Amino acid sequence: MSLDILNVTKIFGPARGGILSRDEGFRALDDVSLHVPKGSSFGLVGESGSGKTTLTRCILRLENLTRGRVLYEGTDIHGLAQRDLRRLRARLQIVFQDPYASLNPRMTIHDIVAEPLLIHRDLFRLSARQRSERVLELLEQVGLRSEHLFRYPHEFSGGQRQRIGIARALASRPDFLILDEPTSALDVSVQADVLNLLHRLQQELGLTYFFISHDLGVIRYICDDVAVIYRGKLVEQGPVAEIFDRPRSDYTRMLLAAMPDPDPDKSPFRQS
Amino acid sequence: MSLLEITNLNLAMRSYEGETQILHGIDLKIERGEIWGMVGETGSGKSLTGLSISRLIPAATGRYLAGAIRFEGTDVLNATEREMRKLRGRKIGMIFQDPTTNLNPAFRIGTQLVDVALHAAEHDPSVLGLSGNASRRERRRAARQVAIEMLGKVGISDPAERIDAYPHQFSGGMRQRMLIAMAMIGKPDLLIADEPTTALDVSVQAQILRLIHQLVLERDIGVLMITHNLGVVAQLCSHVAVMYRGRILETGPVRTVLKQPSHAYTRALLAAIPTVHTKRGELRGIGDIMAEAG
Repeated sequence: MSLDILNVTKIFGPARGGILSRDEGFRALDDVSLHVPKGSSFGLVGESGSGKTTLTRCILRLENLTRGRVLYEGTDIHGLAQRDLRRLRARLQIVFQDPYASLNPRMTIHDIVAEPLLIHRDLFRLSARQRSERVLELLEQVGLRSEHLFRYPHEFSGGQRQRIGIARALASRPDFLILDEPTSALDVSVQADVLNLLHRLQQELGLTYFFISHDLGVIRYICDDVAVIYRGKLVEQGPVAEIFDRPRSDYTRMLLAAMPDPDPDKSPFRQS
Repeated sequence: MSLLEITNLNLAMRSYEGETQILHGIDLKIERGEIWGMVGETGSGKSLTGLSISRLIPAATGRYLAGAIRFEGTDVLNATEREMRKLRGRKIGMIFQDPTTNLNPAFRIGTQLVDVALHAAEHDPSVLGLSGNASRRERRRAARQVAIEMLGKVGISDPAERIDAYPHQFSGGMRQRMLIAMAMIGKPDLLIADEPTTALDVSVQAQILRLIHQLVLERDIGVLMITHNLGVVAQLCSHVAVMYRGRILETGPVRTVLKQPSHAYTRALLAAIPTVHTKRGELRGIGDIMAEAG
């Protein structure tokens, strides 16, 4: 009962040329294999352009694979018929990075959070009233109140918007949540609240997290295992404490060294 | 005389809902060779303080209720627009958060840098290393040379070839370095950097911090670094000012403020950063701590 990514390769392009064209396209993911155990938090770390987002898109089958397989509880996501894929997607949800761009400004919070219930209405079969009750329950779960129901996204702060994004992701009762840099657009103080909320939800609902971030402090705080990706290739993976305390690759060491430490005595500029 | 002295700055901004006071009595003094970090959450007034220094708050919406800003003795708030133009981009360099929106996508990087150099040279011909009566062609050629030198200085390889590229051909880190090159070309005495590394990867961020540090050592300039990243402040800055809701709560040398914070809010800010030793579920939001502090 877990997610397995097996030898996934994704090549974009190549542009169609003549038969002698040497363009091989762009290798966004190169033979990536990961195992995400059920109920755990799995962190994926990498810089911009390393293939983090492409990998999540491949998991959700928003991109087709060039090679490899993605197994969810043993089922090959990329081999499913459209109908079965839709059913599976109710259980695999995603929270996006930018809470300003990922909520429709013309929809009320109620409609935003209820939308997955409408999309998957064949799974839930809820009346309009039941849907509204479920929305309220979800909002309370993420720390918002009933008076927020009929407001619009612009009336909320960044942290509150991210809570709305989380409520929407939880609407279809998923067991697997992809969190694509959920706190990088937030202040540290708000980030702490959102991280604690995610931790509480995981304990209450038994969720599996696939947590993408470039903030190693956040990954260390929230994740059990971590994988480091660089230019589409997996650099190393293992338990968080092991990778952070005894990184094996130069790249991970470099990343850890580049993290600005909030202790002024550890500044490289003040050594002299 | 200090390089920059802000005393009792009070700013109000007008919107459809009426006038709201944004800054409440800001006091800040920056000397040459100092790197000041200004930290605080979104909406605390950090950026508006930075914009006020070069008087970039639109007069139609912003109104200074009280206070003064003195830059090397010039009264910034009462200076003429002509005087301000001599300061902006020349004595006061500015770097903003998002390098993509602050570069013109339709012009080559060289063109944009040459423009800045020529503009700076109008006020101080020594920027180009020419006398005042050099011909236009000579000035252009010299400006291009200065632009290439600056690009090299901020660590862009093959600057002589790269100078003819367009912004979209540069990566995020390179674009940010180009903004720094642009800010430094007028040989400023004060550099205001508003979240210069927020959009960048940690490895690129480390390069930018090193670059700013080096510039301070070489040219003895003052820096005001606006950020919400306390890690960046701890690494780079010599002093720090903590802002909260339009007020400066605490200022001082970075080691004193971060190691023995005297204000509950500063402690809360530090406690909100997950470190190696924080156990899951133990992180504390600012709301909890500020409520306890009363």
